[in-house]
Amino acid sequence: MTTPSQRAPSSEFRLLAVPLVLFLLVFLGFPALVNLVYSVSEVSFETLRSPEITGFANFTAVWTDSSFWQASWFSFRFGLLTALLECALGLFLAIFLSPLIEKRSWLMAILMLPLMVAPALIGLMYRFVLHEFVGPVPYYLWTWFGASFSFLGPASAFWTLVVVETLQWTPFAFLLFHMAYQAIPKEIIEASAMDGAHYRHRLWYVELPLMAPTIVVALLIRFIDGFRVFDNVYVLTGSGAGGSTASLSIYIYEAFFKQGAIGKAVAASVILFAVSFAVLYGLNALAARRKGAR
Amino acid sequence: MINALRWIVFAIAALAMNFPILVTLSTSFKSARELSTNPGLWVYAPTLENYATVFTVSDRLNIFLYLANSIAVATLGTLLAVALALPAAYAIARGKLGERTLLPFIVNLRAVPLIIFAIPLYMMFQWLALLDTRLGLGLILTIVNLPLALVILVNAIRDLPGELDEAALMDGATRFQILAKIIAPLCRPAIVTSLIFGFITAWNEFLFGLMLTTSNAVPITVGASFFFAASGGGVQWGVASAVMIVGALPPMLLGLIMYRQICGSMTAGAVKG
Repeated sequence: MTTPSQRAPSSEFRLLAVPLVLFLLVFLGFPALVNLVYSVSEVSFETLRSPEITGFANFTAVWTDSSFWQASWFSFRFGLLTALLECALGLFLAIFLSPLIEKRSWLMAILMLPLMVAPALIGLMYRFVLHEFVGPVPYYLWTWFGASFSFLGPASAFWTLVVVETLQWTPFAFLLFHMAYQAIPKEIIEASAMDGAHYRHRLWYVELPLMAPTIVVALLIRFIDGFRVFDNVYVLTGSGAGGSTASLSIYIYEAFFKQGAIGKAVAASVILFAVSFAVLYGLNALAARRKGAR
Repeated sequence: MINALRWIVFAIAALAMNFPILVTLSTSFKSARELSTNPGLWVYAPTLENYATVFTVSDRLNIFLYLANSIAVATLGTLLAVALALPAAYAIARGKLGERTLLPFIVNLRAVPLIIFAIPLYMMFQWLALLDTRLGLGLILTIVNLPLALVILVNAIRDLPGELDEAALMDGATRFQILAKIIAPLCRPAIVTSLIFGFITAWNEFLFGLMLTTSNAVPITVGASFFFAASGGGVQWGVASAVMIVGALPPMLLGLIMYRQICGSMTAGAVKG
């Protein structure tokens, strides 16, 4: 009785997944293929449809391009710093504010608001907020402290961008940690309180370890989103003086649209593609193994 | 005492994180004259003239077109993503189809810098004459929305008891009927969540809007930046602020109304992804 009744539904299931798979093949599979072919070809906007396969010259060009490494370093540093700051702030807010928010969940809506706004628009808003002549922040810095500071100048642009990104996305980390904190079973907290554990000890030995998986996930997500940043950086500083604020996404965008260096842009895309998937699948395998070990 | 401290921390955090939005909101109600003398948050002589300017169509700027484009592409990108993801999610959750291949691939997609597909997609769209069309941008936004929609829906279907399917199969129902008549109605909360979340994500998307549109299909995120390109003189900050409020308002309102659902879906996507 097993064979027919099991075979029939599986073909139905296959049919149900077909539209999604087809869509992915057309809109991701084909582009990935184009990426691969063009990355080893000599191609310009004139010869777009007839690329000539020439070997790895594009990869060499990217590999020896100092702006590529500068952009990689920017992305990495930006992703790491913003992830750490967002998670630290988010964790503090989630734990410290939990007694307030437990009773009034609408407070959450206020803290979540920045997540709803397009990063590109937030970036544009900061153009005004930080504007040397009309912006409120430089104005109050000047009137209250007599200090003037060029927020988007070459020396400080990186840190300004880190703060802009952190202020918009701390709510995301906060939200994850709030959920994780609420999910800690009350009995565990009561039991540790009965045992006479001091609040600090309870936090350190009971609550934080229980939240550890969420903290790792939040760090990872925020690192990835910071690493691939484009919108807010692009509208605020572009690639910056001498490419000082070009993320990898901006590097690829500018190589293609500003310099018309198709081969280079595509080769950089392929490198990023390979590294991203290698890292992500590595992490998946690691997570699966840990789950299996438990 | 400690509670007062909590309120202070909350107020500082809320103010700091929402600061650009508050400044922009206040600036949008200031006249050009007030702007030059009053940089603070308070507006002494509120005016709607900036909004009037924003909603005046000129041959260079057309806010109605940008808004209509954003509505169209976000709707298409959201509905199509859910329409593709729901049957696939059912096949993954119940048929164990592609649980080790398709699902992790699509989930990973959420974390991949989508710029790596942008250049070939640009060329492909050029061949297909999809550049600067709503259809083209909507299709790309579908890709952007697919990962989270799939994760939310797979989780929702896994949470439904399998006996439902078995009972219906006994009665001779096909999988298609089960999906349409039983699973989809029971998953309505998850479907609504993925629709809202997808709409907000698609509305706020910028990179592909910037690359794939030039005039006819420009979404509001890109169109808003046009208002900064000053026509003679400097940037009209009041007008620029008004256009940003207009562009940010729809997802903000959706978010405020549906924040509970959004909380849930964000964590679902994060924890399982």
